[in-house]
Amino acid sequence: MRWQLYKKDPRFIFLSLIFLAVLLPWLPLGASSNYILRILTTAVLYMILALGLNIVPGFTGLLDLGYVGFYGIGAYTSGLLSIHYDLSLWVILPLAALNGALWGTLLGAPTLRLTGDYFAIVTFGFSELVVLLLRNELWLTRGPMGLPGIPPPSIFGHPLTHDWEFFYLILLLLMIVLLVVTRLQDSRLGRAWFAIREDEIAAQCCGVNLIRYKVTAFAISASIGAMGGAFYAKWFKFIHPDMFKFWESILILCLIVFGGMGSIAGTMLGALILIPLSEVLRAVLPQGLFNARYLIYGLVLVLMMRWRPEGLVPFERAQAKKAKLARERLEI
Amino acid sequence: MESLLDQSSLFLQQLVNGITLGGVYALIAVGYTMVYGVIQLINFAHGEIYMLGAFLAYTMVTVLGIPFFAAFILTILICACFGIILDFVAYRPLRNAPRLAALITAIGMSIFLQNLALMIWGSQIKSYPRDMFPAIFLKPALSIGEVSMTWMQVFMLSITVLFMVILHLIIHKTKIGTAMRAVSQDKTTSALMGIGVNRVISFTFAIGSAMGGMAGVLVGLYYNAIFPTMGYIAGIKAFAAAVLGGIGSVPGAMLGGGVLGIAEVMGAGYISSEYRDGISYAVMIAVILFKPSGLIGRQIGEKV
Repeated sequence: MRWQLYKKDPRFIFLSLIFLAVLLPWLPLGASSNYILRILTTAVLYMILALGLNIVPGFTGLLDLGYVGFYGIGAYTSGLLSIHYDLSLWVILPLAALNGALWGTLLGAPTLRLTGDYFAIVTFGFSELVVLLLRNELWLTRGPMGLPGIPPPSIFGHPLTHDWEFFYLILLLLMIVLLVVTRLQDSRLGRAWFAIREDEIAAQCCGVNLIRYKVTAFAISASIGAMGGAFYAKWFKFIHPDMFKFWESILILCLIVFGGMGSIAGTMLGALILIPLSEVLRAVLPQGLFNARYLIYGLVLVLMMRWRPEGLVPFERAQAKKAKLARERLEI
Repeated sequence: MESLLDQSSLFLQQLVNGITLGGVYALIAVGYTMVYGVIQLINFAHGEIYMLGAFLAYTMVTVLGIPFFAAFILTILICACFGIILDFVAYRPLRNAPRLAALITAIGMSIFLQNLALMIWGSQIKSYPRDMFPAIFLKPALSIGEVSMTWMQVFMLSITVLFMVILHLIIHKTKIGTAMRAVSQDKTTSALMGIGVNRVISFTFAIGSAMGGMAGVLVGLYYNAIFPTMGYIAGIKAFAAAVLGGIGSVPGAMLGGGVLGIAEVMGAGYISSEYRDGISYAVMIAVILFKPSGLIGRQIGEKV
């Protein structure tokens, strides 16, 4: 009886997961509990990043290889604003998101006229240019010396120091992003994106303004990425240009391809599985070969596309889901 | 007066270096352009074939002790086989899948091969032993005043030009070349005309990868440095060259490679050496934005 309720409505599963996550810092895990919390904070951060990236390849059907550029922009916006102006986290997060959206629009408006593969390569070039700028504009970013000593965020005058505080903060951010993304998915905007993904020409014939909707998708995706970066800078308290290299984009792309492109639950599941796995590999692999874990990510991309292109949790529209539920009820 | 002469000879020297580098970019760009022309896919893994070419020749010379020129030719042949295998394993199953799937596979293959090389050969920069080719290679072949061109540069340029001519002849004078051009225009119709489309695509991959592997050996010689990530940077630059010249066009790739090579060397010399790679990316983005058909490519309307 109970179980059927779970099966019918995924919201129950979701709520129980949230409940578990909130309880988590207080479970008796012994000495390793902080380590586990840090890994989970990373996983939730990547969930947010993957949800942001998902809007472009998942919802709109365009390959974005420069996502990490916006992540980097957000991180440096946050780091520089807190070091030089000592702004509050609640001012920094929206500012970083806006900055990401600004660059997303600036890059997207001219490039989204192009076909998908040109768009992919331009976004790639963009993210490389971001890293080059971060590395070479010493007056702004201190270049390869990195940006150390970013003050931790404080809430109501209480600076965050414990791992569980950051974990709750990132959970809160995840809730906000999740709300935005699910609402977007079922909105008019979302329907226009899916139409573009299924068939651009047909969408255009139905009166969907391609450029406008694509730029909107790209800008929203960029702002979520930048927000993730802003959190990262405040959490890690040190940022370096090398943290925002092309590899990160591939990792995030791998999360959504593995979980299910376009599927919000799948995207989150992908991050929840692959990010802790990567941490396990970090512990298992010898020092010099740590980067060889990308071998696995590359393989995941190829194998998923070959055998299961819809991912672990295939994408399903809310409307279609409701209709299916209604049909099942009738059959019972 | 003296310094003016210095300036102009420096400029000419940069020009010579730029043209040599551009020739190599052109060799790689040909692989991108031909594959794109035939199956409309950016083969991101092409840069990795180039990197594998450099490493294969290195392994043959140092570990197996094969003489350099034999290793060079063997590498070209093996890379051609790699290209065919790559197409067969990764791209052929997705021939009728959405374009996004093929693009993701391409990027996945690229990452996979790059890290495979990292695991096999390690991340340290390797260099070819200096005594494996005649010492004359490093001596200047021509020198006019301060400007000189080493035999190495002469060798690279002549190989590039030779293979470009051969490629042009293959595409325009042979039966398989005609088939390639037909497939690039319309796959279905050419299949109806009795062309084995998959065979033609394999051939295209083989030729492109052979040229890519060759470029890998040449660049490894020229800079005397080979490392697993060399393919990713060079691949993007070569792609920029292909776009610059007009993707799908072989003479365009040659022109684009030349222009990009010169722009990069000049930019590094006169503007800023930190942004050496940035110049290629900026050129690429600018061309894609303002003239996506490239310098001598033709504008192709989207097929509905």
